Amino acid sequence: MDFLIAPERLELAEAVRDYLSGTHGPEVLRKLDADGNRDTAIWQGLVEMGLPGLLVPEDQGGLGMGLLDAVLIARECGRFCLAEPLVESAYVSVPWMIARGDTGRLAEVATGDFRPIAAHSINGWHSDGEDGSLHSVDPLRNLAQLPDDASDDPHLLDLGALMASAQLVGLAEAMLDQAVEYSKLREQFGQPVGGFQAIKHKLADVAVALEFARPVLWRAAQALEDGEGSAALHVSHAKLAASDAAYLAGESAIQVHGAMGYTYEVDLHFWMKRAWALSGAWGGRGFHARRVDDAIIGGDHPIGPQNTFA
Amino acid sequence: MQLQYTPRQQAFRAEVREWLASNLPEKPLLTLEGEEGFHQHVEWERKLAQGNWGMVTWPTSYGGRGLDLIEWLIFEEEYWGAGAPLRVNQNGIFLLGPTIMEYGTEEQKARFLTPMAAGEKIWAQAWSEPGAGSDMAAIKTTAYRDGDHYVINGQKTWSSRASFADWGFGLFRTEEGSQRHKGLSFILFDLNAPGVTRRPIRQLHGNPGFAELFFDEVRVPVENRLAGEGEGWKVAMATAGFERGLMLRSPGRFQAAAKRLVELFRKHEHNAAPSAREAVAKAWMESQAYAYNTYAVAAKIMAGGSIGAEASLNKIFWSELDRAMHRTAMHLLGAAAELQQFADGSANDWLEGYIFSLSGPIYAGSNEIQRNITAERLLGMPRVGAG
Repeated sequence: MDFLIAPERLELAEAVRDYLSGTHGPEVLRKLDADGNRDTAIWQGLVEMGLPGLLVPEDQGGLGMGLLDAVLIARECGRFCLAEPLVESAYVSVPWMIARGDTGRLAEVATGDFRPIAAHSINGWHSDGEDGSLHSVDPLRNLAQLPDDASDDPHLLDLGALMASAQLVGLAEAMLDQAVEYSKLREQFGQPVGGFQAIKHKLADVAVALEFARPVLWRAAQALEDGEGSAALHVSHAKLAASDAAYLAGESAIQVHGAMGYTYEVDLHFWMKRAWALSGAWGGRGFHARRVDDAIIGGDHPIGPQNTFA
Repeated sequence: MQLQYTPRQQAFRAEVREWLASNLPEKPLLTLEGEEGFHQHVEWERKLAQGNWGMVTWPTSYGGRGLDLIEWLIFEEEYWGAGAPLRVNQNGIFLLGPTIMEYGTEEQKARFLTPMAAGEKIWAQAWSEPGAGSDMAAIKTTAYRDGDHYVINGQKTWSSRASFADWGFGLFRTEEGSQRHKGLSFILFDLNAPGVTRRPIRQLHGNPGFAELFFDEVRVPVENRLAGEGEGWKVAMATAGFERGLMLRSPGRFQAAAKRLVELFRKHEHNAAPSAREAVAKAWMESQAYAYNTYAVAAKIMAGGSIGAEASLNKIFWSELDRAMHRTAMHLLGAAAELQQFADGSANDWLEGYIFSLSGPIYAGSNEIQRNITAERLLGMPRVGAG
């Protein structure tokens, strides 16, 4: 029993964090929003880091890593509100394709030349396209209608929900950071607003929600990776914890920013809108709450202290 | 990350389970907040010690088993899973014990730890004073030096277990005229020493779970001081860390309550509000999240890391989870919530648990203090006016 993420797994995520902090700041989001175009250089940079091939087997040019690694990278994508569809194409589609034995084009995924579309019927649309009829509240999501062959494979749904949860955790962490920074700068009544208990306690609550959402996410990743029978329950648990933390972080951050937070001028809105989108995607609150309920109250999933890792 | 227990860990689990099954009290004990129940719990504490289960993580030289934190978690899971009683000596074993381990001399360790693990001496904490609750640096009780003794004068209050315990520990002002965190020393004292008067205080449930302590020229040998004179604040902060951190509230306790809550819901489903279902599922989710987090922290400590201000997040989380679970149970019980005993004569544990849960957000540093610590030390927010 070792509930610890190995340091070498964290190192890769830290490298991605460093890379994105240098290349994908808020000014990039603003430019993409203004231009309405995708910047191909960003995708190329991700390809050079090997990120689309993270889960592609080594003999097909990928890095052959596991779901927990992908979750750690997806969290960083959330933290920087990444505008490229890396997570859904490479971390949701690839393991699903491998599970189905559909491995013919994985090498192209690793080189970044092919971005598979992971479309599940629980969503009304997918996020890597642009058909002009659908507009997301998130200005950087390019929605398109589901293809005719959208899947209803529950494994795909779990992969999508897991990776959405990981991004939600990263988004919430970034929103908390932005609110903390703003609270140190903005002065009212002659002192930084971050000195007031009412503000401190609001953000402390976000920190609590995140502290207890993260290990649920690690648990879900490992359960899905290991193919545990109860993986779906753990994924739903993670999705609920992550989306609750993200909503709380968004609402608290906007409150801490005051009227400034209610404008398009502060960067915060990009993160908040992505969080709203991902909270509903891959099964909303109701869907996942029902799955937990069915297993815990209506079902026979073993519970109690002797079943921590059941 | 490796989420399977080793064969050795599984064998240990089986050993704990077997011992508990053949040694648990046949009937549930009375509350440890009353005199009769207190003594029943002391009996249980001694029985645990006979099985060498008094404090499993301590070195064998002090009556422990020298187990690691994962084994401790397994022990606690079995303990709470079996429905074993609350630990009457928790102030000793979980708070003072680790503090002595860190700051005590060899002589102090031998003198205090072994009887503590054996359940021979039950400890009370003596932190608060009437004017110093959350603001603990405001304490006034003095201990002046007279040869090889300290002489204590003043008053402590809301001292948990002090109505019936044997010994107490607390902070005293050893430097005349000193202010705030300075000039304080951490001193252990015999509650039966001449000059100590205990006045039990009835708590919400009517039992004397804590007491006021009055000190009138109480003489305490200098060798009862932990660490140096004037270093008391530093030592007390370490104790407070233990109190909020890993040991005091092991996740097993909350997972067991969540399981009982699910069972209660199934029995009362016909009468449950639509929101109760979600509250019950949430209780399971949060007790699990707390368990995962504890396993993660244990793994981090075993890999050479440490736990700092994160302990404040823990304390906020478990205390508010405990209250929410018991509140949900009170709602599910409906009219029966007010009964001290149900019609079949069994105790209304949910009512007692709800009342107890209301103290969680207050003791061990109020949750308001924990949120300040979180904001200032973890998030780096400004330390200015209290607002």
